[in-house]
Amino acid sequence: MSDSFEPLIVAFCCNWCSYAGADLAGVSRLQYPPNARIVRVMCSGMVHPNLVMDAFTRGADGVLVCGCHIGDCHYLDGNCKAQRRCDALTLMLQDFALEEERFRLAWVSASEGPQFAQLMTEFTEQIRQLGPSPYRTTAGV
Amino acid sequence: MARLAEEWFAICAGCEITILDIGEPLIDLLKQVTIVHMPVLMDHKLYGQTGENAEMEIPEAEIGIITGGIRTEEHRKLAHEMRKKCKTLIAMGTCACSGGIPALANLYTTADLQEKVFRGSVSTDSGGTPDVEVPVLTEKVLAISEEVPVDIQLPGCPTTPETVAAALTALLNGEPFSLPTKSVCDECPCTREKKAVSTLKRRLEAPEFTPGRPLSEMRCLMEQGFLCLGPATRAGCGGSQGTPRCIRAYTTCEGCFGPLSEKANPMVDMMGALSSIGLDPKQIPDRAATFNRFAGAGGRLRPLPVRK
Repeated sequence: MSDSFEPLIVAFCCNWCSYAGADLAGVSRLQYPPNARIVRVMCSGMVHPNLVMDAFTRGADGVLVCGCHIGDCHYLDGNCKAQRRCDALTLMLQDFALEEERFRLAWVSASEGPQFAQLMTEFTEQIRQLGPSPYRTTAGV
Repeated sequence: MARLAEEWFAICAGCEITILDIGEPLIDLLKQVTIVHMPVLMDHKLYGQTGENAEMEIPEAEIGIITGGIRTEEHRKLAHEMRKKCKTLIAMGTCACSGGIPALANLYTTADLQEKVFRGSVSTDSGGTPDVEVPVLTEKVLAISEEVPVDIQLPGCPTTPETVAAALTALLNGEPFSLPTKSVCDECPCTREKKAVSTLKRRLEAPEFTPGRPLSEMRCLMEQGFLCLGPATRAGCGGSQGTPRCIRAYTTCEGCFGPLSEKANPMVDMMGALSSIGLDPKQIPDRAATFNRFAGAGGRLRPLPVRK
């Protein structure tokens, strides 16, 4: 089972830093696991906890929210909002009977292609260790 | 004359009392239906009157009502039998619609539950799990719609007599019937200012209101610091009066009408509602069970994963 398990990861990347970072990782031809489905959002601050929980209850094994480094936000403090939402999300993950490690908030700037690739590799490996999400069966993924 | 079959599963029989509670309109309704199967009222056996049949059987009917969620394999079989024999199937009460109170058991595995009930509790003489002549428990409590398609859902714990009468009348007259999709907050007359005036209070403390004055002069109970499940609960408990039942009694919504829709997640809605007025969800004990008090089926409550 663990051999054939490929984690399904949803990554919300902000338009200004992280998505550009992911792009850079791509054009630099860096190798990283193809498990993440990147969703481009305008700011990490717009990723409502509902979106994250929706992804989980529909069978995602891990969710990643990537934004600009603190102080670099295109909208000044969107990533600070994302950070505050993180607390509520940690609580919700416990309540939804999910491991906290399945969710991660990370900062990736537009020039950090290698860091993005490394983050993806690490996170995918972490989720692989945790195994499939208990919601997979009910969500029919 | 329309035939009516009713079956009860994991339930307290409050929903059956609600049928009785319809009052005078019930007399008119009863003139239009023949009850062909209803364990609470009549002696109609599932295996034939003398137990001669090998399979459970429910007579054919135009209207089928199921109250209670599916807790045993027998319930599961009966749900399929009801679906096969009834033209229109009604899930009545929150237990049938979204699991209700029995579905709080979904926080534990069936093995854990039996361990606790038959051996673990201090007031019980330890014994084996009964397995002779009792149906096997399902692995979790299921809402009826998780097992068979349901045509009409009538949530509420218990549901209102008015809703039952309205649904049955609509069915008998061939008219459509639908539930409100609003939340309890949308029907609540209390004053909201979008900011909590207090930290979370225990529910035994008394809210502030002036007796005799209209409810619209009372501050939203959640803003007063009492946990109210109104934001994540379907409206309709007030019936024709509109005002939610619990609010009328100056107490918070318990969430008995279940989630806003079958796909809704009261946990996420409540977290949002709490934080938007500045209450700290961390202070709420047993959040999963509290927010999903009547909505544990449908995969909303499940045992916590065991850490390796």
